Amino acid sequence: MKVEAGGMALVDKYCQDYGSRARELKGQGRKIIGGLCAYVPVEIITAAGFVPFRIKGSVSEPITRADVEMETIVCPLVRSCFDLAVKGRYEFLDGLVIPHACDSICRTYDVWKYTLGLPYSHFINMPHSDNDTSLEFYKTVLNTFRKSLGKFAGREISDDSLLQAIKQHNENRARVRQLAGLRRSDPPLISGEELARALIAIMSIPVEESISLLGDVIAEVKPRASATGVEKPRIMVVGAQLDDDTFIRLIEDSGAWVVADDLCPGTREFWPDADITADPIDGLAERYLQKIKCARTYREQKGTYPEYLEERFGHIGGFIRDFAVDGVILYIYKYCDPFGFEVPAVKSYIESLGTPVLYLEDEYSKSTIGRLRTRVQAFLELLGAK
Amino acid sequence: MTEEKKPEERKKRRTATEAAGRVGSMTKAMLANVPQAKGEGRPIAYSFICCCYDEIIRAMDITPHWVENYAGICGAKRDAQRFLERAEAENLSRSLCTYALCGLGFDAWREELGGEMPPDAPWGGQVKPDVMLGSGQMLCDPRNKWFQAAQHYMPDVPTYDLNLPWPPYEEDYDYREVQDDYVKYMVAQLRGLVEFLERHTNRKMDWDRLSELVDLTDRTWNLVHEAYELRRAVPTPMGTGDAMNTMVPLSFMMGTQQGYDFFKELYDELQQKIARKEGVIPDEKYRLLWGGGLPSWFALTDFNYFNSKGAVFPAETTYRMVEALYNFDIDFARITDPLEHIAWRWLKFWTCRYDKTRQRPGSHPDVERLIDYIEDYQIDGVVMHEAFSCRSWHVGLIWQLNLLKKIYRDIPSLVLESDIIDISSYNEADTRARIDAFIDTLEAVKSRAG
Repeated sequence: MKVEAGGMALVDKYCQDYGSRARELKGQGRKIIGGLCAYVPVEIITAAGFVPFRIKGSVSEPITRADVEMETIVCPLVRSCFDLAVKGRYEFLDGLVIPHACDSICRTYDVWKYTLGLPYSHFINMPHSDNDTSLEFYKTVLNTFRKSLGKFAGREISDDSLLQAIKQHNENRARVRQLAGLRRSDPPLISGEELARALIAIMSIPVEESISLLGDVIAEVKPRASATGVEKPRIMVVGAQLDDDTFIRLIEDSGAWVVADDLCPGTREFWPDADITADPIDGLAERYLQKIKCARTYREQKGTYPEYLEERFGHIGGFIRDFAVDGVILYIYKYCDPFGFEVPAVKSYIESLGTPVLYLEDEYSKSTIGRLRTRVQAFLELLGAK
Repeated sequence: MTEEKKPEERKKRRTATEAAGRVGSMTKAMLANVPQAKGEGRPIAYSFICCCYDEIIRAMDITPHWVENYAGICGAKRDAQRFLERAEAENLSRSLCTYALCGLGFDAWREELGGEMPPDAPWGGQVKPDVMLGSGQMLCDPRNKWFQAAQHYMPDVPTYDLNLPWPPYEEDYDYREVQDDYVKYMVAQLRGLVEFLERHTNRKMDWDRLSELVDLTDRTWNLVHEAYELRRAVPTPMGTGDAMNTMVPLSFMMGTQQGYDFFKELYDELQQKIARKEGVIPDEKYRLLWGGGLPSWFALTDFNYFNSKGAVFPAETTYRMVEALYNFDIDFARITDPLEHIAWRWLKFWTCRYDKTRQRPGSHPDVERLIDYIEDYQIDGVVMHEAFSCRSWHVGLIWQLNLLKKIYRDIPSLVLESDIIDISSYNEADTRARIDAFIDTLEAVKSRAG
């Protein structure tokens, strides 16, 4: 699809009415497959001829329906996503794919599946470890999904269509990297809020439209003059999935730039590509299990503990250096076991690099904004004083 | 200061069976064995229950320290708070698994003291291990994050993460289509564990011994199944309160003769009680199923409170992680590799109700299990517990109850809310008021049924 409106304008449209494009495509006869988390192998969905759609929550909307079926001890983001789904916000979905990402996602698969009753649902039983035997098993898991989705599509998903989809998604990621890279300059050419909105928008559209939209956004942003003015602290945000721009805006409104992240959607999922391999499943398996560095995946320890920390968190150190980060905000949701247990280790790792860290626990709700603002402002003052 | 806090006085709980009454001293001896083993130079492994490595560590003469058990003991003694607060001071959220927080708080404190136990550590404390054996499976995130987090305080202790997935229940394919892949993977993971242990503990696997222990575990599974099936009797001779004691030999002594012998004695005792028509309580009015959730270890007397209202729990899903192996659709005799044997046992445990589930439209294996127990044990109502800090065992309970009522029948249910060891989440008056109301409902339903 040729994008008619300006890139950022279209981004705003898709963010304001999230799912609007998927709804249109559904009206045109396309099938939409929803998914939670960056671990849904979107290439396989694209190769099947379906539109992969990332289900998101809403920090603005109180959770009013989810609790009838889902415990309140579930990650607040997942609860919010489910709440919107049972309210019919994603009524255009034909299917649902849920990966074994974390307990909150994995343990609610059946709740989603049985409550929504969509024509298609599939659980991707991704192993937790990144070692070679896990990789081999994960390939069989991906092939089970490929076969299952092919059955739903009424045709086998061929190697050629899968390779084509992998190339498309790699191109999409390259565009994201190009756009996110525009945050390297000081001040950055694109704000953290703008980037967050662009990444949210593309979660809801087909990959070919995303490539086009990102191209337009880059064309719009790149010519911006690198303005001079008051220096602001350059912040990196580290956390799980942040599918809302409110927190990023809060940081920037408090007098900083968000120039880097280790988030989804964000560098975590858009930095690693899938290699083009003879068996396309091989490249996909390696990307999702070994290249994406998420707290949910256990990295096998091969060296000393400091080397192990470097293996787990070295990419964060890389971003701190590449994007000249002044301070890191660890933004962790309540009830998030994978990221929550990492806080002492990752905090001390980042601090060992000489970079100050602010750790915040939040609940995926705008109701906490006042408290967060106070903490962020104090942190920025601390950075300014250095 | 947390050091100055004294635990609240603990209430003694009455057990129905003599076997369950012996578990406290067994647990104490099991824990005391760990520092003794350490002193004798035997390797210690931080371990989790239900991770299929019981026989492996036993065959290699590695002593397990069951971290969940120790946290549970701290909770039962109402002395977990100071360790939870210590973990919180380390920036570990109080919303995370409180077993893990308790353990991590303890480890952080002990290492800060240069290896000395924190003051008045319950039952001698937990010693620094030589290895930590985590587990990544479809069951529990903290099991593959806890020990990684513990390395922050013990960077010289290596960890292994054992993956033990089982095929999910799906309508569009049969699990048998993929079961070989799962078993192959689990065997590779178990073999990796053996190599890891040999590398880090200087112990060699005794494969003949392993086969013997696998066989012992098989026999123990069958025996536990048969003993628990005796609880179908009316009046039931044993309730869930006791099962929260007998989970110690079930979960922490699997693959040992002591564990087997315990269940033989329990089996005999239950048979004798049945012969004497001796129930948990003299006048059994309501038979309840503990349908999900770990218990509040600091409030096990709630089971006695149920008893005081005429209610008993002949069955529970919690910790009943065994089935009769002879009911599985597999001939274990044809499997010569003990690791493969372990893998198939695990897979068949999780999938054993898949075929039955397909017979009831809209059903699910977890709900089929509830239905099985409701029918087999003549259940009048279902009680569940939602522990706020544990997503692994406590997410999906509401949905299971809803589905049960939709596809089976409307059966009275109660969901209690608290935690496994964080006593600050517990309100005894509120809990008992809810139990009272539930008993009223059960009575009303019984009256209506005539």
